Amino acid sequence: MTIESFAVEAQQLSRDYVSTKRSHILGRKTTTTIRALDHIDFEIDEGELFGLLGPNGAGKTTTVKILCTLLEPTGGHAFVKGYDVVKDAARVRKIVNMVAGGERMLYYRLTGRENLRYFADLYDVPKKEVSTRVDRLLELVGLIDRADDEVEKYSKGMRQRLQICRGLINDPEVVFLDEPTLGLDVNIAKDIRKFIREKIVEEQGKTVLLTTHYMYEAEEMCARVGFLSKGKLVAVGHIEELKRKMPTGFSMEVLVTRLTDETLEGLRRLKKVKRVLITDYEGEAEGEKIDRLIINVDSDAAAPEVLDYMSTMHCRTISVNIRGPTLEDLFMFFTGEP
Amino acid sequence: MFWRVVVAEMKKNVRQFFFSRATLVWAFVLPLGNGLYLYFLYFPFVTKSVELEFNASTYTLDLVGFTLIGQLLYSFFVMVMVVGAAFDREREQGTLEALLLSPANRMAILLGGALASAVWYMWMLIGVLFSWIGFFQVNIIINDFLALFTSVALSYLSLVALGMCLEALFIHSRRGVMYGTMLQEPIMFLSGLIFPLQAMPRGLLVFSYLIPLTFGLISVRLTLLGGASMFDVAVPLGILAFMTATLFILAMWLIGYAERQAKVKATLTQF
Repeated sequence: MTIESFAVEAQQLSRDYVSTKRSHILGRKTTTTIRALDHIDFEIDEGELFGLLGPNGAGKTTTVKILCTLLEPTGGHAFVKGYDVVKDAARVRKIVNMVAGGERMLYYRLTGRENLRYFADLYDVPKKEVSTRVDRLLELVGLIDRADDEVEKYSKGMRQRLQICRGLINDPEVVFLDEPTLGLDVNIAKDIRKFIREKIVEEQGKTVLLTTHYMYEAEEMCARVGFLSKGKLVAVGHIEELKRKMPTGFSMEVLVTRLTDETLEGLRRLKKVKRVLITDYEGEAEGEKIDRLIINVDSDAAAPEVLDYMSTMHCRTISVNIRGPTLEDLFMFFTGEP
Repeated sequence: MFWRVVVAEMKKNVRQFFFSRATLVWAFVLPLGNGLYLYFLYFPFVTKSVELEFNASTYTLDLVGFTLIGQLLYSFFVMVMVVGAAFDREREQGTLEALLLSPANRMAILLGGALASAVWYMWMLIGVLFSWIGFFQVNIIINDFLALFTSVALSYLSLVALGMCLEALFIHSRRGVMYGTMLQEPIMFLSGLIFPLQAMPRGLLVFSYLIPLTFGLISVRLTLLGGASMFDVAVPLGILAFMTATLFILAMWLIGYAERQAKVKATLTQF
């Protein structure tokens, strides 16, 4: 079965992981099944940069590995450019590539250039083109001056840039980027995001599936996203469309100390308040722990009432920020996860 | 594309192995050390020769040469085990997924990895020959060079095929190295690497004849030290050729099976 209208399509895709354990070396085997993906459906158009978002363990990497043929699904189907990722795996491998953040996928004892030439051979890149393509890619990511140094001498950011070169060596039609900026410092991550958006998508017109748990990253790069939570795809669509689905138009981000359960309950009962979430925040003010509240309200006019109530409950407000919904708000709204 | 992948894989493995000069010294010194160890192991015995019964004939072979040929093939066997663990190393260093993500022919990857051992082995061989000529005075009797060449080549190919089978197993499971090591000692013992097979209890000989290395050792020893002709070693060479072909076919099946199982059981990144 082939579906040719989308670059990538998942139909009721599921994946279970089965692990067996013994209590001790001669003990009885116990089997546990964990559902990493639970009947997910989504499509990605040609030339689109689609974001798959979710916290760690949501099923993002599992989805990517199935789509690039490194893992078999336990249920459902997936297609890349119309090819079934299980039945036509050999064809799929020719037209895709994958870059994973925080993972090696490179040979550290070889130089950057040797790594790329090796992968060019594996992908059967025309011999006449290899040198030009390798140099062009190294130049694109700014590694041409260090091309003949062993990868073990590269910094983390340089290795990640070389990984991107490896991911593009076969000129893939579909690129899977699995948390490509994981663990990188702010400036390098910014450069890589810019490179992906401008060079890979806008200039070369490739289809990209980006997975990330950094909401700002997806907001900066993608027009359309999907939210994965505990293996389920809870929402898919254009960010603006999804924002319109939120029943409340504004969010108050409030940093407070002396927050009690009673205050939280009281806040939730206020008429203009639609939803209150408490999220982790690391910090103290005058020796007291700071909590971060995201309060969804009808309008910005609700703010004084909320702040008055908190004051009467002896909370100390450190800062207040009122804004329209962000991708993080959307994620929390659809998944219920802070 | 097949041979392009084979060559790329060979180059990568050789480059990774000879990343430092110390590995060159190691590969040179190891056979010399093994040779000395075997020489002095037999030193207390007065005899200077060993009798090898084969095909209703008895060949009298130089004792030191006999043990050194065992050591020569043992060194290569160790190499094959090292190369066989290539996929396991790829898994540990986080490159196995990048390798299997590519459309490269899996047999070509296996073959390239196994052939890389030939390059290392050639270097080791220089160490072995150096020790033969420079230190031990081995009595070599060669009457048929073609028979000698065929014996060495088939022994080499059978070990390459065995290495490929082991390598395929290593994709599937991180226990591959353990299985490989478990095989190492019985193969050494049963194939007659160190002592003549006639010294082996009869019941165990059945297992000896299931190992290709046994036939490789017989034919190399007879053609290099006993002056045997192609006709004399036709039977062990025929069996060796059959076993080698079977192992290559087994490797082809194993690689497909192991990759599929690894994708079903999600073991590609476990280590």
